[in-house]
Amino acid sequence: MSARYDLCVVGGGIHGCTVALFAARGGMKVVLVERGSLCREASGVNAGTLTMQMTRVALIPYALQAHAMWASAATWLGHDVGVVVCDGLSLAFTEAEAALLSYRAGRRREAGAPIDLIDAKAARLVEPGLGPGVLLAGHCKVDGFANAYLTGLAYRRALIDAGVTILEETAATDVQRSQGCFEVDTMGVPVKAARLVIAGGVWIEGMLGWLGVTLPIKVLVNQLAVTERQRPVMRTVIGIASGLLSLKQYPHGTTVIGGGWQARGDRERGGYELLPDRLVGNVRLACHAIPALKEARLARAWAGLEAETRDALPAVGPVPGVPDAYVCGSVHSGYTSGPYLARLLAERILGREPAMPLFPIDRLLDPIERAA
Amino acid sequence: MTSPQRFDLIVLGAGPAGGRAALTAAAAGLSVILIDEQSAAGGQVWRKPWAEPAPARADGREGEGLRAALDSSDVTLAYGRRVWSVTEGFRVDSLGPEGSMSCVADHLIVATGAHERVIPFPGWTMPGVMGLAAATVLLKAEGRLPGKRVVVAGRGPLMAQVAAGILAKGGRVVAVVDRMPLTGWLKALPALATQPPLLAQGAGWMGRVLASRTPWIFNHHVAEARGTERVGEVTVASASGDCHVLSCDALVIGDGLVPGSEVPRLLAARMRFDRLRGGWIPDLTADFETSVPQLFCVGDGAGIRGALQAGTSGELAALAVARKLGRKTEPDQGARLRGAFARASRFSDAVAAMLSGRTADVARIGPDTIVCRCEDVRRSEIDAATAEGMHDINQIKHVTRCGMGPCQGRMCGDTVQELVSLGSRRSREEVGAWTGRPPLRPVPLGELVGSFDYGDIPVPEPAPL
Amino acid sequence: MQDADISIEILLDGQPIRVGARGSVAGALLEAGVAWLRSSPRTHGPRGAFCFMGVCQECVILIDGRLQQACLVTPRAGMTIERGGAP
Repeated sequence: MSARYDLCVVGGGIHGCTVALFAARGGMKVVLVERGSLCREASGVNAGTLTMQMTRVALIPYALQAHAMWASAATWLGHDVGVVVCDGLSLAFTEAEAALLSYRAGRRREAGAPIDLIDAKAARLVEPGLGPGVLLAGHCKVDGFANAYLTGLAYRRALIDAGVTILEETAATDVQRSQGCFEVDTMGVPVKAARLVIAGGVWIEGMLGWLGVTLPIKVLVNQLAVTERQRPVMRTVIGIASGLLSLKQYPHGTTVIGGGWQARGDRERGGYELLPDRLVGNVRLACHAIPALKEARLARAWAGLEAETRDALPAVGPVPGVPDAYVCGSVHSGYTSGPYLARLLAERILGREPAMPLFPIDRLLDPIERAA
Repeated sequence: MTSPQRFDLIVLGAGPAGGRAALTAAAAGLSVILIDEQSAAGGQVWRKPWAEPAPARADGREGEGLRAALDSSDVTLAYGRRVWSVTEGFRVDSLGPEGSMSCVADHLIVATGAHERVIPFPGWTMPGVMGLAAATVLLKAEGRLPGKRVVVAGRGPLMAQVAAGILAKGGRVVAVVDRMPLTGWLKALPALATQPPLLAQGAGWMGRVLASRTPWIFNHHVAEARGTERVGEVTVASASGDCHVLSCDALVIGDGLVPGSEVPRLLAARMRFDRLRGGWIPDLTADFETSVPQLFCVGDGAGIRGALQAGTSGELAALAVARKLGRKTEPDQGARLRGAFARASRFSDAVAAMLSGRTADVARIGPDTIVCRCEDVRRSEIDAATAEGMHDINQIKHVTRCGMGPCQGRMCGDTVQELVSLGSRRSREEVGAWTGRPPLRPVPLGELVGSFDYGDIPVPEPAPL
Repeated sequence: MQDADISIEILLDGQPIRVGARGSVAGALLEAGVAWLRSSPRTHGPRGAFCFMGVCQECVILIDGRLQQACLVTPRAGMTIERGGAP
């Protein structure tokens, strides 16, 4: 039985698309299998924030590299995703928040994030739209945002240019491994490839199950909202010390409000319901930070699913015990860091040494399973 | 935030369907709240006129009757409130002059009516161009003319009503431009004749228009509207291409109705595409219950049927709720209502057929014509995205911004879905509908947040560092 | 009770103008000959009230300093209205 492809990537989000793109550019014959359409789950519906101030400390070095990738997306991806590089502020309105901010900014700074702590007056110079009551702010010049909903279009064009076979609206349901080849079931049609990457977002738990690997993945259901257009009311990316707010105004005038407040949802139904009290809470934080948002109207709110491992660090690396199978996902702040981590994995798959260590999942598996 | 008020039943929309539903439920002893965005009951079809006392017209009398009955009922009336969130359970959140309000009930009847379909043409975004339904609001609820020289266009009986209304107020109708041929009306006549009072009303409007020597141009559509800051002239054309130019200062146009089925979609009720009923509607039982238990949809929002069946559907749903709650209802009431509903079917179906969307009308839209008014998205951009392989309507929204604006895709949704269906050679079912998202209508952030203390915001635990 | 003849003065783009007091701001302005309410965001085309029932959002303009739908607001003496809409 011979493989048609060098690599089959299951899951067409940022992780899967990036691995597929760089593997194809590295000379591999690649097929990408996506049950819906490209970047329409977390990769397309997230807040598009490209920030260090909500990134986990262990991921800061990766996020810095990824930020540079996003900023030059037109070069390596070849298509614009509306990236704006700007200053970012993380705000503290209470003493407790100020303490939290000082500690967290300090740790992130140690990890390489260029974050300075500044007072309210200095913060207002950075962001004239700020409301009253700021005690302390973390200021980072490496920040910004993208238009997440354009991600799918950009990757689609890049993947086609790179010669990747894209199978959209094609659900993978199982994988068999025989004679050195993976056979991915796609609604009755087998896709054969020598290597396999599982990049199915919150669905990687079930997909790894196909390979006999048990990796529990927690599903976060992140609530997001967007205003209609209004006059320019802010020019930075705003967060708060706890990380429960992300706020930025797009060049066309809408403002996206996020921060990871939880909606109702699950793997089966997606983010199916927003809770009004939490939506109001999130919007109150936003209006407290930037009061002029009160002039605008809320146009739309939605929820996206985010995958989280037990230690909230990525699952990016080989699948233990299954040669030539890899997993790529569960990257906290995955939109910011995803492209770089996925590119590192592509390097590894191409037989090169990645510039930074991957995040193999061995640490997350039961000792018994690891032994087996 | 104050704790939500509890009722047996929440009714959304105070038109004929919602109004009758609330009255029937209250009569059966249920605690009911009726919520509507307008400041009075009646919906769009029986909208409260600007002047009292009640006008002589039948729809005015029926509206007055509904309003009076609701005023003297035990129904809690919540008018002038914008519903922005409906969640499982059911919880309904709204904003109004007194701020935000939450209420909960185990049963929800959705009677949110319809909005107008206008097939795009160059210049349909020009000030002075407005919907037929918009013209009825101006004429009835505001006592105003849409313009001094008005072109009335589109399809269906509403054209006759609006043209007659303009003439009655002393305005001039330049012409009625009817997409249907005369034979279309003649074919519908036997079905319309099953409801003699309504046929007589329609004939009255038509008679008034014809008596004024207003030209009624059959089998023509508006090809273009032109003007600088307000429409000044329109070109009308037949399918075979012969054109007339009409000078005017207003164009009122409507190509049928689209059900406002956002609430069942938001609550993930099973939906289906039904061209006759105007588009995407919820799957319903004989009691108008959706696939989500205890969620009912009635009136035009559950499929275009018109006011005649709307009220009956509301009453049937309310009776079903009363029965579920163990209330005694008149033994033969359900059968009587079902009989009335069935007798009205022929008329309602004939009108619904006139008002349903036509693929050929959409196919004719030119490439440079703006389809999405909010975001200024042209047909060519939608076609290009479709040709690039994007066939899911929500994907089209992502790449073109079409449907992302403040109308939340209501004005362009039916047209865009039809265009993608045409371009991709997929069925409307495969193309799908916009995903339901809150808020149901845009709501001012300032009103949504109200006054609050920062310390009282229930901020969740921070993510790990 | 509203009367067809009652008119009130409002401030339209800084200029006083008399409009009918009944119905909606959008209807009152149209009756006064004011059809243009705003420019569209991308092509900057002229726009006016379209659906008059709160659906289309074409008539969203600054009324007393807040973006509101002119078809859902009743005119009041002294009201300030700025056309142009959101950018």
